[in-house]
Amino acid sequence: MIWLLLLGMALITFFNRYLFFSDLVSYSPSPKLRRFLSYSSYSVLTAIWAPIIFHFDGRSEIAIAGIDYLLAAALAAALSFAKVSSIVVVLLSVSLFFSIRFYLV
Amino acid sequence: MSQIRSEEGALARRAVLDILPLSIAVIPWGILTGALAIQAGFSALQAQFMSLCVFAGAAQLSSITLLAGGASFSSIYGSTFVISARHLLYSITFRQHVADLSLRHRLLIGFLLTDEMFAVSEAHTNRSGAFSALFAIVSGLTFYVIWNGATLIGIIAGDLFDNLDSLGLDFAIVATFIAMTFGELRKYPVLIAVALSGVVAVILKPVFTESYIVIAALVGMFGAYSFAEYLDPENSDGEYKEGPQ
Repeated sequence: MIWLLLLGMALITFFNRYLFFSDLVSYSPSPKLRRFLSYSSYSVLTAIWAPIIFHFDGRSEIAIAGIDYLLAAALAAALSFAKVSSIVVVLLSVSLFFSIRFYLV
Repeated sequence: MSQIRSEEGALARRAVLDILPLSIAVIPWGILTGALAIQAGFSALQAQFMSLCVFAGAAQLSSITLLAGGASFSSIYGSTFVISARHLLYSITFRQHVADLSLRHRLLIGFLLTDEMFAVSEAHTNRSGAFSALFAIVSGLTFYVIWNGATLIGIIAGDLFDNLDSLGLDFAIVATFIAMTFGELRKYPVLIAVALSGVVAVILKPVFTESYIVIAALVGMFGAYSFAEYLDPENSDGEYKEGPQ
């Protein structure tokens, strides 16, 4: 039975990924939709990382994952905003993160 | 000819390097997925098959938890669909890039299309000005191999890793995703996309534990789109292209 479950899940995840690549879907996005979609990566990536740092309890409190997360993310944000290359941003902010985590906290 | 080969080699190396931090960040989740699957009663083969064929971390983890809690297949299928619905967004975004590729390449890129591969591939497209199937496939395969290696470690030695969550490897996700988006924050629509989707995701996560990413992303995209139309209603001919640096 688990095999059946796994096959079904594999079909569902592949369907969601491949749907718009398929020749069966002949739909082509209008310029307005393409403009809308041009913001998809910014929005999805932010929607994935923001809740890693900020935890909302569902009522009124917002907690922070830790000072290490907050400071290192602030560094990453500042460096990226200043157009430092992505690889350097990741290396520096991850180094700061683990320095705080293992030496200070 | 050798010139072309070396350019392709450099591109492939860049693809591996770009996705490496994200791949390392998901190793704990891969190990956890393997270990939990075994605990939930999967055979080693089934646990590995799941990572090989379903290949979707969040959907795998939640379905294992649901199955262990006695949920029905239909509810597991439902949650799998909702959790992986964000891939529909990636699929439609990539459509223009892959429409002219061979069926084989489209199937492969579709199969390998994850959050991580989408992120680095979009960044590469915007950096270089053109989508590269090689870049997408190499980065996707790198991620695939590491995800499945991590699952295998979890299957074999899952009980050895208790505190993986507390290592903080998930910060690599935060760092990489910030690095890919904040360079364009001076553009107001991008600022709106980031602010709206971030706030909405944080607020919705406790309630919409499975769908908060796709809902928050759509809200952010809609806000950014509306503002861009307001700023520049004429430029709707599709030339307007913004993406991660």
